[in-house]
Amino acid sequence: MRNRWGLPDLGIGVGLRTVHYSHILEAKPEVDFFEVLSENYLDTGGRPLWVLDQVAARYPIVLHGVSLNIGSADPLDREHLSKLKALAARTRAHWVSDHLCWTGVAGRNTHDLLPVPLTEEALRHVAARVKTVSDILERPLVLENASTYAEFTSSSMPEWEFFGRLMEDADCGMLLDVNNVYVSSFNHGFDPEAYIDAIDPSRVAQYHLAGHTNKGTHIIDTHNDHVIDAVWRLYRRSVARTGNVSTLLEWDADIPAFGVVHAEALKALAHRRPEKAVAAAAS
Amino acid sequence: MQAVIEQPGAVDDAVEAAAARAELEPADIGRVIRPSKTLTAVERVGVYQGMYLLRMVEALEGDYPAVAHFLGDEEFADLVTRYVAAHPSSSYTFNRLGRQFPEFIRASRGVRRKAFVADLAHLELAVTEVFDAPESPAWPADEIARLPQDAWERAVLKPIAAFRLGAYAYPVNAYLQSVKDENHDHPDAGRKATCVAIWRKRYEVWRLDLSKPAYDFLGALANGRPFGKAVASAARRLQGGAGDQLFRWLRDWVAEGMFEGFEAA
Repeated sequence: MRNRWGLPDLGIGVGLRTVHYSHILEAKPEVDFFEVLSENYLDTGGRPLWVLDQVAARYPIVLHGVSLNIGSADPLDREHLSKLKALAARTRAHWVSDHLCWTGVAGRNTHDLLPVPLTEEALRHVAARVKTVSDILERPLVLENASTYAEFTSSSMPEWEFFGRLMEDADCGMLLDVNNVYVSSFNHGFDPEAYIDAIDPSRVAQYHLAGHTNKGTHIIDTHNDHVIDAVWRLYRRSVARTGNVSTLLEWDADIPAFGVVHAEALKALAHRRPEKAVAAAAS
Repeated sequence: MQAVIEQPGAVDDAVEAAAARAELEPADIGRVIRPSKTLTAVERVGVYQGMYLLRMVEALEGDYPAVAHFLGDEEFADLVTRYVAAHPSSSYTFNRLGRQFPEFIRASRGVRRKAFVADLAHLELAVTEVFDAPESPAWPADEIARLPQDAWERAVLKPIAAFRLGAYAYPVNAYLQSVKDENHDHPDAGRKATCVAIWRKRYEVWRLDLSKPAYDFLGALANGRPFGKAVASAARRLQGGAGDQLFRWLRDWVAEGMFEGFEAA
């Protein structure tokens, strides 16, 4: 199944991280695409942007942000959006994503992905802002489900229902982070398969996979380890519904050598539909 | 929720802070946040609250590694805690978080070797600004010779965007270098006036210790003083052979890519 915007299956990608700059520029590894943390390149004219230009000239790029603050009561940051649009044009990004969350109010940024109350009011609020952002960026916004550690008592629907209605109302796409589904299901006690099965497959523009840290009482989305088997199983279940969709491995702490990160990402081939796995193996 | 997250210390103390109580009394948190099977409502907020300051410390440690090294983990974290309480992040990017850090240190009480640390922070801020400044093409070194003789007197040199000059009361550049070299035998941090040029060449940040006369001359040129007046002023301060010395400095600075060109005043 193709997503409704015709966004391509870029294959298996990894996040572009500073510690791998030299390796990527010198070794030019065979990678299907790179995901770029947008905010790291919006306010610099130095080496990071120069590296990004080299990478974008060779590889497909998607932009992924952490400060859109789409769920906040604060006004949207027009400067941020203007720079984001320019960066998307500069890198010829296939799409732009951020998170369903809020990062701060009263003009502040906690630089964390805070949970949104899953209410009718919040749904209307976020949908209106997603439409505004999509209009400014002149492309459909793709939103990721964040890992959450707290729930509001005011929430009146499960996150998958909120996401489904948001995507319909605002015509946006979903970056389905399978690890985040697992993390949140552990923290909140819901069935992760029910979440996966409820998502409209035509809305899934990209997958995220990552490792996490299980504290016993709760799981933290630390992006510092290999993907666990239970997350791979959820990924396989979801791919069976969506077909092959661009898939990215995040590894942001205790980052190992590029080859280790890439090898972990390529494990996804074993869980995707055969045609892409065969094609990738042949190449 | 944010009012609790931004508080330092344990979450049980954070919910009791005045800023947090102004939003919600601790006893009412359970009315807003649902407990899980394993965590209370306050503990769940504490997951976010516990990570907030760690994130701020990590971000500022990236911009101020030498300050962090000098103060040590505990003192640096304490300083950051007070700093972000006064200057919380208000931008989509961490790049702007530390802009007021040097001045905050200078105005703060209880910072060990405060004047040295503030100078060190100023130098590290300059390094960060140079790292992120827009790229501008450097003036080719061989074009100095092509500038007509009669144009020099009124020529105004324009530094590249990625250029800063700093004058300090302490040898902070030597200290920063020792941290970058992971040299545990740090130079004496005693009072000693130093001057440093910081600039970017081929996307790398460079730092150059300058004598006071060289600093004054480079500063005059970088601040738009016409070349003839800058030379005359510098020559008065130097002893014999000033012309040759000034020319060598200029040639070296242009060769290092500190200027992007000149304008006739």
